[in-house]
Amino acid sequence: MTDDKDVLRDVWFGRIPTCFTLYQDEITEREAEPYYLLLPRISYLTLVTDKVKKHFQKVMRQEEVNEIWFEYEGTPLKWHYPIGLLFDLHASNTALPWSITVHFKNFPEKDLLHCHSKDVIEAHFMASIKEADALKHKSQVINEMQKKDHKQLWMGLQNDKFEQFWAINRKLMEYPTEDSGFRYIPFRIYQATTERPFIQKLFRPIASGGQMHTLGDLLKDVCPSAVDHEGGDLRFFTHCMDIAMCSHRIYHLDKR
Amino acid sequence: MAEVEEQPVPASPQSEERSEAGEEAPDGGAVAAAADAVPPPAGSPGTEEAAGDMKKKIDVLLKAVGDTPIMKTKKWAVERTRTIQSLVDFMKKFLKLMASEQLFIYVNQSFAPSPDQEIGTLYECFGSDGKLVLHYCKTQAWG
Repeated sequence: MTDDKDVLRDVWFGRIPTCFTLYQDEITEREAEPYYLLLPRISYLTLVTDKVKKHFQKVMRQEEVNEIWFEYEGTPLKWHYPIGLLFDLHASNTALPWSITVHFKNFPEKDLLHCHSKDVIEAHFMASIKEADALKHKSQVINEMQKKDHKQLWMGLQNDKFEQFWAINRKLMEYPTEDSGFRYIPFRIYQATTERPFIQKLFRPIASGGQMHTLGDLLKDVCPSAVDHEGGDLRFFTHCMDIAMCSHRIYHLDKR
Repeated sequence: MAEVEEQPVPASPQSEERSEAGEEAPDGGAVAAAADAVPPPAGSPGTEEAAGDMKKKIDVLLKAVGDTPIMKTKKWAVERTRTIQSLVDFMKKFLKLMASEQLFIYVNQSFAPSPDQEIGTLYECFGSDGKLVLHYCKTQAWG
């Protein structure tokens, strides 16, 4: 794992240049300038956009401001998906900066979860970590940690502190020497071409013969139609959040 | 394996709670039949899961934590694509909780799944003995 430290750092510090524009139907007292921000791939929209909210609130009346939500080309952006995943899924083909529209009205209840406070984000983040560890270690590692260790994971993410985060996360990425890997690999496959949320199944890191499973093995096993070559180009993105934040290996497939 | 059915409309209500639950289930087995559940059309992309699986519905066993009211019917056959939120909404009605009251759901007594998570996926990863066991509580039990 220490050999991969450069990779881990690259993943952690990945950024997407983004331009936030206020939705034209929002009522403002004067013109709203767009707001530019470098978004961390591994974080969540509602965690890193306080400045965006403040910027647009300055030109709006208090009573016009409700819960903020974000949209890209008509698609509400799920704040509980990592930012990098949202970009790869919806906007990877377009030129940078990524153009996101900001709303304060007409919250799309059917598409988005509410996010009334940072506590909601923390709860979601920790639930992801716990779910991943349930797959990797039958929850043993996460349950053996103290509350302050859990808090350190969250604070590391919230404050963009790589070392602080990884001091705890490395334990979630280890396995006993007598085992050759995790119990199951935590992964999710998102596809741009379907309405289904994601594919998540049990998948062991080691095959029955003792050899390590490859990514190709995983895809063939859980997503066979995507590896079917129908003459289409299979584009495959590794969001690589895995190791970074919620210890999921998250990939998505974009079949063209 | 014992056949698990959705709760039928009771012929003779035994308690006030039961009869009201019965009245509220005119759609016949509220969990699976609500209008907003639209199964994916056959052959559409992303039905890899459906193709290989025998079960259209997942057997869910609901267990109360602490002094949370106990569901009179604990076993439910739930469609794969039902979300946790949808299940919570149903349980709150069934338990006659107010909209403002919260209900927390836990898998493996260790994590709270996201409200938009599908029952089918949770069963794939965390089911055992042919069913998915979910614990529920009005307060946060496992954080």
